Amino acid sequence: MEKYGIGQPVRRKEDVRFLTGTGTYIDDIKPDNVAHALVLRSTHAHAKILGIDGTEAENMPGILGIVTGKDWIAEDFQPMPTKSAVNKKIDGTPLNQPPRHALAIDRVRYVGEPVALIVAETVSQAQDAAEAVEVDYEELEAVTDQVKALEPGAPQIWDDIEGNFCLDFELGDKEETEKAFKGADHVIKLDLRNQCVTATPIETRGAIASYDKDTGKYFLQNATQNVHANRDTFAGVLKIPSEDLHHVAPDVGGGFGAKNSGYPEPSLLLYASKKIDRPIKWISDRNESFAADTHGRDQATTVELALDKDGMFLGLRTKTIGNIGAYCWTVGPFTPTGGSARTQGGPYYFPAMHYTGIAAFTNTMPLDPYRGAGRPEGSFQIERIVELAARELGIDPVELRRKNLMPADSLPRKTPMGLDVDTGNFPEVFERTLKMSDRAGFAKRVADSAAKGLKRGFAIAPYLECTGGGPKEFAGVKFARDGSAALRVGSMSTGMGQETSMPQILSDRLGIDFDKITYVQGDTDATPIGGGHGGSRNMEVGGSAVLQCANEVLVKAKQIAAHLLNSNADDMELSEGVFTDVKTDQSVSMVDVVAASFEQSRLPDGMEEGALDTDTIYEREIISCPNGCHSAEVEVDPETGSVNVEHMWVVDDFGTIINPMLADGQVMGGIAQGLGQALMEEIIYDEDSGQLVTGSLMDYALPRADSMPKMEMAFFEDAPTAKNPLGVKGSGEAGCCGAPPAIVNAVLDALKDDGVLHIEMPLTSEKVWRAIAEAKAG
Amino acid sequence: MYEFEYHQPKTLEEAAKLFADADDPQFMAGGQTIIPVMKQHLAMPSDIIDIGRIADLQGISVDGDTLTIGAMTRHGDVAGSDEVRKSIPALSDLASHIGDPAVRNRGTLGGSIANNDPAADYPAALVALGATVYTTSREISAEDFFTAMFETALEDGEMVVKVTFPVPEKAAYEKFPNPASRYATTGVFVARTGDGVRVAVTGAGACVFRQSDFEKALDTDFSPPALDGISVSADGLNSDLHASAEYRANLITVLAKRAVKHAG
Repeated sequence: MEKYGIGQPVRRKEDVRFLTGTGTYIDDIKPDNVAHALVLRSTHAHAKILGIDGTEAENMPGILGIVTGKDWIAEDFQPMPTKSAVNKKIDGTPLNQPPRHALAIDRVRYVGEPVALIVAETVSQAQDAAEAVEVDYEELEAVTDQVKALEPGAPQIWDDIEGNFCLDFELGDKEETEKAFKGADHVIKLDLRNQCVTATPIETRGAIASYDKDTGKYFLQNATQNVHANRDTFAGVLKIPSEDLHHVAPDVGGGFGAKNSGYPEPSLLLYASKKIDRPIKWISDRNESFAADTHGRDQATTVELALDKDGMFLGLRTKTIGNIGAYCWTVGPFTPTGGSARTQGGPYYFPAMHYTGIAAFTNTMPLDPYRGAGRPEGSFQIERIVELAARELGIDPVELRRKNLMPADSLPRKTPMGLDVDTGNFPEVFERTLKMSDRAGFAKRVADSAAKGLKRGFAIAPYLECTGGGPKEFAGVKFARDGSAALRVGSMSTGMGQETSMPQILSDRLGIDFDKITYVQGDTDATPIGGGHGGSRNMEVGGSAVLQCANEVLVKAKQIAAHLLNSNADDMELSEGVFTDVKTDQSVSMVDVVAASFEQSRLPDGMEEGALDTDTIYEREIISCPNGCHSAEVEVDPETGSVNVEHMWVVDDFGTIINPMLADGQVMGGIAQGLGQALMEEIIYDEDSGQLVTGSLMDYALPRADSMPKMEMAFFEDAPTAKNPLGVKGSGEAGCCGAPPAIVNAVLDALKDDGVLHIEMPLTSEKVWRAIAEAKAG
Repeated sequence: MYEFEYHQPKTLEEAAKLFADADDPQFMAGGQTIIPVMKQHLAMPSDIIDIGRIADLQGISVDGDTLTIGAMTRHGDVAGSDEVRKSIPALSDLASHIGDPAVRNRGTLGGSIANNDPAADYPAALVALGATVYTTSREISAEDFFTAMFETALEDGEMVVKVTFPVPEKAAYEKFPNPASRYATTGVFVARTGDGVRVAVTGAGACVFRQSDFEKALDTDFSPPALDGISVSADGLNSDLHASAEYRANLITVLAKRAVKHAG
């Protein structure tokens, strides 16, 4: 029993089906009589739609229907409102929010915007018909860069939104910060970008919709991270009660935020499936995924650091302009504002900070959360400015960081950004990372690299982030007579392993055989509420709900056990699946207690058959603060500029670790995505035409297995948080907070003798090569 | 994908007849280019003639100083072949770095050279090694075979049957892969034979080309320093998302030096 408990590296149950090709992803579901849909998308970044002629297409073989923006408006379907938690400008007025319909109405505003839905007997027929649909466009000037979009004279994306301005936002004490800068001995300033990237989940998006005319209910199977919130969104669009839409996510192959939101396609499919009275399937292809999955990051930032003569930090001032694309999407405006603000300054002690964020509209695919949603951007900003300060002031970057970390005894502390940092030990985590990094051997490794004509660099990057996502979560357990248990949870795994880690918690607390616990998620009929996944909330909120549920079961199980033993519930102790009376030493197994719960004659008064079945809702009060430290060693080939990340060392404080193997996996995956952003990934739109340039895997570079460094990871578990009963802090997004600054700063360390101070991400070979050449030229 | 007729002939004669009888036929070897292109609706052949079952196109053999590779030989088979590794290890190395395992298990020598993608690896090897392309109707020297971007000397309906490579004294291929596609951003194949040194560059221009100033210098002194001081012009080189012409010009020098070093 013990080996399946909390803290054990239990192998993932779900891997057998994932690794043998027997998972059930959307495209594996093949309903009888299913029709296929294709989304006709805008080929222009900005254009008026003068007309759409689908007459020829409608008469082509196998075509079952074509839906356009005109049909959509005629049905009076509703736009999808943003749920951004930051929704007012600094002056208190509401953010500028254009209507976001499932189809473009009279005008397209980004390449890939849905213009029509074509439904056919086969995908191939729909593709043929798509070429016969005549969309009469009148092209308009486009702007794809958020800084340019805010400049006077920029093309207007929305007629009634002046200057493409969505909202502005500030956090921190402006006056105190100004004072700190005035009194500073040194002010270091840097302009930098967090480039636009995309999630590229291994399973592209897709959905199957159907309508039952007998019951009047819709059924949607969808590759999503969040069934409940999106059910409500789609129901709102179609003006139907939420309970008339059953929304299920089968196995989902990666989300990273890009499957968080209410996309246009499901509403279109639901509507069309009712209209043609057949189930309809839509699967996004990979090119469509680049154009029409929400993008992430894309912030243009100026960051300023004020220091005293001894190198102590006095103040931090950050100004960011974030691209949100052509619409507010689901929570797009939050990322460059509240999302990036909260963890400003990282784990360093700052007397004063001030953050300003602006969200701007452009003619690009809208942005929404991407793994970290603002915190990786913040982490990169602080770590770059600290590294630059060390370089410019001639201070050892390790030393500058060490002396400015929040001391252990300064916690709990509320940062100037209002972040409640309750537990942790940043100096300890920092020193442990440094120790793991074998600094003593560095000089030899530098020499070995030099002998090969390569430059070696090192950097360390402590980070502080926070969790997010919905604060409430449901967990329910239903038992069977044989002692097995069906666990239902409203949070969601899209491959992270909650099918294993959630039962671990239940098994640990109730002594139920791990193999006898089944797990259900992602089904609006199975759980009354559910927050899906996002903001590293699965363990923090979902896991806490499971723990709370287990605790409630335990209270009842003790009563039953005591009744069976003619004893008192208070005297019952559960160990390895057996209740023992601490006074009499009599015992009864949990399996027997479960069996008894189905026999009225064996139950105490007041309990009914099935008494152990328990539903509960846990609510988080304050978000937790995962933190840790990454360090990286890289080799740079000065002749080609190519970078190889050789080694990364990571110590993470995620509070209590439920399953160290899965937590390791989260860190490694986060490093892979962080490395991708640092070195190669970038969504690029053509500046003039607004066309997507990186629209396929032939152009958008992703890290592969051979891009990955050796990774050594450890956990600091001495500071569990009291903010939730499990003591967990969230592990999902930490990797991509720490990896980009560690890698970028290590490259700049390798090039310090060349005088290279800054290179914008991604650090492609050519950019690195040019930076060396330009520094040499002076 | 548009609809098309699929054929799988067993002989060259059968393939030729199918080709002659179809409206807009297309030969398919490993399908690593034509299938993605068709999936994107960028090509609509009436007939796909899959030449994968034609026995005359298979096989690797060495006869004296000549290595012969059948057109339908997969990259993975070239990479794994003892004959290739013993006779021209540089060619074996080149094949082992084409695409990824899935591509190497399907893609073929004949398909690659007939497509003449400017970023493909094989053209550099054929030109540097002075290979000869045997088709269904004639033999063509590698240099005459590759004519322009995605263009070859092949006539309509003419098919590559095999390629013969003279075994060089020394040879090496250095490739700087595109980080996304892993095609050659620039690749340089250097070979020294009894006829002198040849340096062929792929990925950098519209079509594979020889770097004659390098060849001249290496003829005199086959060592990396021999290339010092020869500047490569960026004029006419490719410039794209991943590499400017100037960067490619730098890569030509860097990779050529490394190839010379590795050739030993």
